[in-house]
Amino acid sequence: MVRMLWVKLIRDLWQARGRTATMILAIAVSLFGIGAVLSAYSILSREVSRNYRETNPAAATIELDSVDNLLLANVRARPEIADAQARRSVLARVQVGPDEWLPLLLFVVPDFADLRINRFWPDAGAWPPPTGTLLLERTALPVLNTQLEAYLLIKTPNGMPQRVRVAGLAHDPGLAPAWQERTGYGYITPATLAALGEQPVLDQLKIILRDQQHDLASVDLHARNLATWLTAKGEHVHEIEVPPPGRHPHQGQMEAIMLLLFIFGMLSLGLSAILVATMVSGMLAQQIRQIGVLKAVGASTSHIAWLYLSLVAIVALAAWLLALPLSGIAGQRFAAVVADMLNITIDSTSLPWWVYAIQGAAGLAVPLLVALGPILRGAQVSVREAISDYGVRPEQINRWSDRWLAGLRWLDRSLLLALRNTFRRRGRLLLTLSLLAAGGAMFLASLNVAVAWQQAIADGMNARHFDAEIRLNHAEPTDRVLTQIRGIPGVSAAEAWSYAEAGPLRAEAFEIVRTYPDGGHGSFLLRATPPTSRLLQLSLLSGRWLAERDSDGVVLNHLAAAQIAGVKVGDRVQINADGHVAAWHVVGIVREIGSPATAYVTDSAFASAQDLVGRTNAVRVVFTSQDPLHRGAIMRAIEQTLADSQVSVASVISDTELRLAIDGHVVILIVVLLLMALLMASVGLLGLTATISTSVVERTREFGVLQTIGATPGLVRQIVVSEGLVIALLSWVLALVLALPLSLLLGTVLGNLAFQITLPLVYSPQAVAVWLVLVLAGAALASALPAWQASKLTVRETLAYT
Amino acid sequence: MNPFRTAPPLTQLGSLTGLAVAPLISMRAVSKAYQTPSGPFPALRTISLDLPAGAFVAIVGKSGSGKSTLINMMAGIDRPTSGEVLVAGTAVHALPESQLSIWRGRTIGVVFQFFQLLPTLTIAENIVLPMDLCRTYPAAERRPRAIALLERVGISEQADKLPAALSGGQQQRAAIARALANDPPIILADEPTGNLDSHTADAVLQLFADLAAEGRTVVMVTHEREITNIVTHSITLADGAIVLPATERMVGQQEPVEVGHG
Repeated sequence: MVRMLWVKLIRDLWQARGRTATMILAIAVSLFGIGAVLSAYSILSREVSRNYRETNPAAATIELDSVDNLLLANVRARPEIADAQARRSVLARVQVGPDEWLPLLLFVVPDFADLRINRFWPDAGAWPPPTGTLLLERTALPVLNTQLEAYLLIKTPNGMPQRVRVAGLAHDPGLAPAWQERTGYGYITPATLAALGEQPVLDQLKIILRDQQHDLASVDLHARNLATWLTAKGEHVHEIEVPPPGRHPHQGQMEAIMLLLFIFGMLSLGLSAILVATMVSGMLAQQIRQIGVLKAVGASTSHIAWLYLSLVAIVALAAWLLALPLSGIAGQRFAAVVADMLNITIDSTSLPWWVYAIQGAAGLAVPLLVALGPILRGAQVSVREAISDYGVRPEQINRWSDRWLAGLRWLDRSLLLALRNTFRRRGRLLLTLSLLAAGGAMFLASLNVAVAWQQAIADGMNARHFDAEIRLNHAEPTDRVLTQIRGIPGVSAAEAWSYAEAGPLRAEAFEIVRTYPDGGHGSFLLRATPPTSRLLQLSLLSGRWLAERDSDGVVLNHLAAAQIAGVKVGDRVQINADGHVAAWHVVGIVREIGSPATAYVTDSAFASAQDLVGRTNAVRVVFTSQDPLHRGAIMRAIEQTLADSQVSVASVISDTELRLAIDGHVVILIVVLLLMALLMASVGLLGLTATISTSVVERTREFGVLQTIGATPGLVRQIVVSEGLVIALLSWVLALVLALPLSLLLGTVLGNLAFQITLPLVYSPQAVAVWLVLVLAGAALASALPAWQASKLTVRETLAYT
Repeated sequence: MNPFRTAPPLTQLGSLTGLAVAPLISMRAVSKAYQTPSGPFPALRTISLDLPAGAFVAIVGKSGSGKSTLINMMAGIDRPTSGEVLVAGTAVHALPESQLSIWRGRTIGVVFQFFQLLPTLTIAENIVLPMDLCRTYPAAERRPRAIALLERVGISEQADKLPAALSGGQQQRAAIARALANDPPIILADEPTGNLDSHTADAVLQLFADLAAEGRTVVMVTHEREITNIVTHSITLADGAIVLPATERMVGQQEPVEVGHG
């Protein structure tokens, strides 16, 4: 491009610096979004993988009666085994308040100096924990409301409550953070376990394979072969746990967040592309006479095309340079937040080259591609057309909208002018409307999905008509336990809902569960259900709920159904629950939020299958009062009553705790959705500002004419602002329509990633109202400055304008 | 004193006199019709004319008579619906758009009624621009030439100002300097004095007269009533057709303008 065209380009950009800045800002906001996502993604994918890999997670954990050194040596000697170690985990309880106990998962480690599998690291205090003390996972401190060197009251299944000192803190990247799970994680030696009243026996065999450690089918095969070999040697295999290889327990959650961010990043880039097209069209329209003059003095079509493409490239480059450092910092900060959510440590926040490259390519290529069409059309305009362009071509008149607008004589004349101006350049109006409507639709969809999350969780909680579930360490006589609990003042109902750790049985001799070492993620339960009970009323996805006659009927919740590929009502499934294998006939599939994968069978069928006739290991209780103080007193009374009758309580899960745990999992998604909504709204409103400014510059001469025939500056301002408001209102209506499919899409994708459900299609009236206010206020603000500029022009200035 | 009467006779200028034999601008049966919502509108009706090199031609007529369309045909700014336009030996009507701009930049200097200087370039830069685009002069010579041209039109002290800082007359002088940037043999001006006061208009017309006196062919659409005193030829248009035979006002030895209906 010739030198003088470069000079013109730079001066044009500077002269229209307000609009140039708006355009740069709008693209920069989008690039910022994309850059932040890519940065966070690159850091997290690297660091999550590294953190999790460094823990050297067991490919499989086989639960036996006990694992001694001889057995370990024999296992290590097998050709496919690279390493094997023994562990144990015990679900205890810890007191966190006067009436409040939380689950405490104790990992029993024989030698803290020789951690080779499922490793964790010292974070503070003592290492290893002296006998009679424990280490806490660092994320458990706030959940347990405790600190280093404090004492915790801990009760194991078979022991008495004992005070145990927190001797140190550990960091275990293989576990989801305690605050999300509402569970404490502790690390003790076998001697401490003995002191807590349990047999100091290690019962978990953790193995590392030599090959194909990350191939699930291969790990399953080797684990089954090992279990067969162990059985042949006289060992009793209780369970085989093979969590998804190489995947952190919250990997799916992280991927959902990243996908969400990426979708919005791309959408916001789309928005900024529309914005660029709008602004370039406006700029070409404004400079059409200059294009004519340039061609008259020797510029070719390619000169003109290069001039404006270079202009777009400069704007895009400036936006990229602006977005680059900020998005890097934001990405690093966001990665730190997600890292905290995943309980990993970020060693390096360095960004790979492809983050910059993709961001740059998207930032440069997209604006240039969308600008190419308008630029080529503008560059090909003939000198005569360019020189004689008056803005309104004869063929643009006489459409239905013009005739309709011409018929609106009863309106205020400034509003009428604004309306007619709005529809004057239909191409531009369409682009602006698309921009603002797309921004609005994304804003609405984000809030709709956020509300849908809350509603899905609320629906899940509303399906549960009980206040707490008490799990016992050992099955107790049902009648006795229920009578005792029902007799406690404040308890209005109590039902036995026994459970067993289970897994769907495929054809093999040993069942494999996908449970992580925390025992929660990936777990599968078989539940005894009183068929006439009203404590759980789940929504049916297919089939029906259990009836008393269902001696072999099972109802699967959607998570359980997802673990049995292709299962449907009418199928027969085999389930291994605590070593008891039974075949069940699927009578229904239900949706359930806030529970692991669960197969519901009648209480009588459960008792027969599990050999627990007349006994139960879990009770669901309804309180007469929802007052927190009152509830606390009832819980305390229940615990006391059960303790008095030597009934050992494994855990008490109140609906409050459950709600906290579920909220902990989705809060970050909702925060991200809200941030994205704001990002979209700001890009949309920036677009409106740019469009109104362009429109005002184009019509400078018209404003001069208006003022010569008596229009006051106030009226000029009114016309411009009204135009902005008309566009805003139209875009709002469009956004309402567009938000519907977008909400459905987002709800489906995110719901499935996080909970394997499709979120309900919710249309939040608050979101609709907020967007109306935002878009109108934004439009008023966006048009206020151009309106003020238009009204400040003198008649002489406007008429001399070329 | 009428300043235009001081224009030197064309025969005293050497370089272009050879072209006086063959017409520099030749139009053959040129018609132009525009499509409008109410049907085709004939802007020019079968016009034929020959203009010799060195002629100073005024095209006059009422609004809508086709004056601007006629001059646009000569500049290749517009294309005829039918007929031929030959300018300096080039069939302009047949020239592809890709070649037209460069041809125009080198052959024609265009002056508009509203000056049409690029607002974000200084006066000197506006004049350098056609030289940049057509590469007619080495880069190092372009600015000195622009300054020399500005001196010629009497506004060299305004060289580094933006157009908005200049009066209308000064802007039109700058536009004339820009038209001369590539030293074209033909200057086409569409109502160059239409936006100027009478005193300034006289000065601008004098500039055109000087250019014609140098041997350039100057064709000007104008409303100036006294223009016939200074031009060598004038063509009167009405409803897209030449209504009066060319009035030939001889300045020295000059080939007549041949006009007529095709």
